[in-house]
Amino acid sequence: MATNAAVVSSRKSRLLSVDTWAVVAALLAALLIRAGVLTRIPW
Amino acid sequence: MAEAIALPQSRPAQPALQFFQLIPGVLLLAAVGYAGKLLERNVGTYAKAHHWTFPNIEYVLWAILIGLAISNTVGVPQIFRAGVATYEFWLKAGIVLLGSRFLLGDVLKLGGVSLALVAIEIAGAIAFMTFLGRAFGLRPKLTSLLAVGSAVCGVSAIIATQGAIEADDEDSSFAIAAILALGALSLFTFPLIGHALHLSDHAYGLWAGLAVDNTAEATAAGALYSDAAGKLAVLAKTTRNAMIGFVVLAYAIYWASQGQAKTVGNKAAFLWQKFPKFVLGFLLISVLATYHFFTKDQTTALANLSRWAFLLTFAGVGLRTNFREMRKQGLRPFAVGAIGEVVIAVFTLALVAGAGKLFGF
Repeated sequence: MATNAAVVSSRKSRLLSVDTWAVVAALLAALLIRAGVLTRIPW
Repeated sequence: MAEAIALPQSRPAQPALQFFQLIPGVLLLAAVGYAGKLLERNVGTYAKAHHWTFPNIEYVLWAILIGLAISNTVGVPQIFRAGVATYEFWLKAGIVLLGSRFLLGDVLKLGGVSLALVAIEIAGAIAFMTFLGRAFGLRPKLTSLLAVGSAVCGVSAIIATQGAIEADDEDSSFAIAAILALGALSLFTFPLIGHALHLSDHAYGLWAGLAVDNTAEATAAGALYSDAAGKLAVLAKTTRNAMIGFVVLAYAIYWASQGQAKTVGNKAAFLWQKFPKFVLGFLLISVLATYHFFTKDQTTALANLSRWAFLLTFAGVGLRTNFREMRKQGLRPFAVGAIGEVVIAVFTLALVAGAGKLFGF
């Protein structure tokens, strides 16, 4: 599909990969929870 | 992991503007996901109060169905598309946080079993898909892309391989469309087959992680069965994802030897570049949880945060799946993919059954 070609080129042009952003964000959230800034996350 | 929706490519926007462009789509993901959660809670209660017989449908399926309904009727308006494409970010963040629910010993034990099964699955899937592609007369590089997509990690692997073997964008689009369509089908077929065969959570989770191509669909297919199966599916799929660099490197070397791709210079750098970094994040959180870096309440908070991230992912799976777009790609790549997927599903089911007898699950 046409949009898939856009996906390919958009991924090539990223400075930091989605993987790296996701790891940074998840670790930051884990640190905030550990530090007690985020105390309770309901489900 | 995959998306059929992407940022417009006309001109690069400023980082701040790019960030604000994500907000409407992320809010849509949250709204669809939360609607799924509300429906799970309320539909069952309503049906029970009115003495109706209605199956208990989990939030995972509701979120996907709502997303599919929007995407395939009114469509996803342009303003939401950039944000909807972030579902891949939420998926990977969710997997990293899920590491808190695995003790390192479990990861090593289950990961070891998964690794052995993954190695067999990858070899078998690549061999069979290559045979099928040749039998159906597909272009060789399209066959390579389909083989990698089916064997390893869906769309991520296809995109990684496309760059390495210098395949056409058109071949990549064909392979991605086939893998996405089959991933969508697996969401509905895998849980039904699992229940029909009375598979344990452990066996089903391992099977979904080994056989379903995209990480988002593998996670959803696992979660549709049970929470425990979802955990196992993520672990098996993550093990499979970790192999991506080796498979892409092998294909790059093969196509370079045919004079149809650039030679790979520094192989270690190539492997690191292709390695999915979220696997390392998952392992790090698992190590921290194992050594009691987090209290019990904090571990629960991390697990719940992971569930919220997955909720956005499942909404994105539905919203980015457009069957009309997929149909435009033609029948042959889809037929090759479909036949391949059925064979791989049966093959991996037999592998899991064998491993179950050996390791007692």
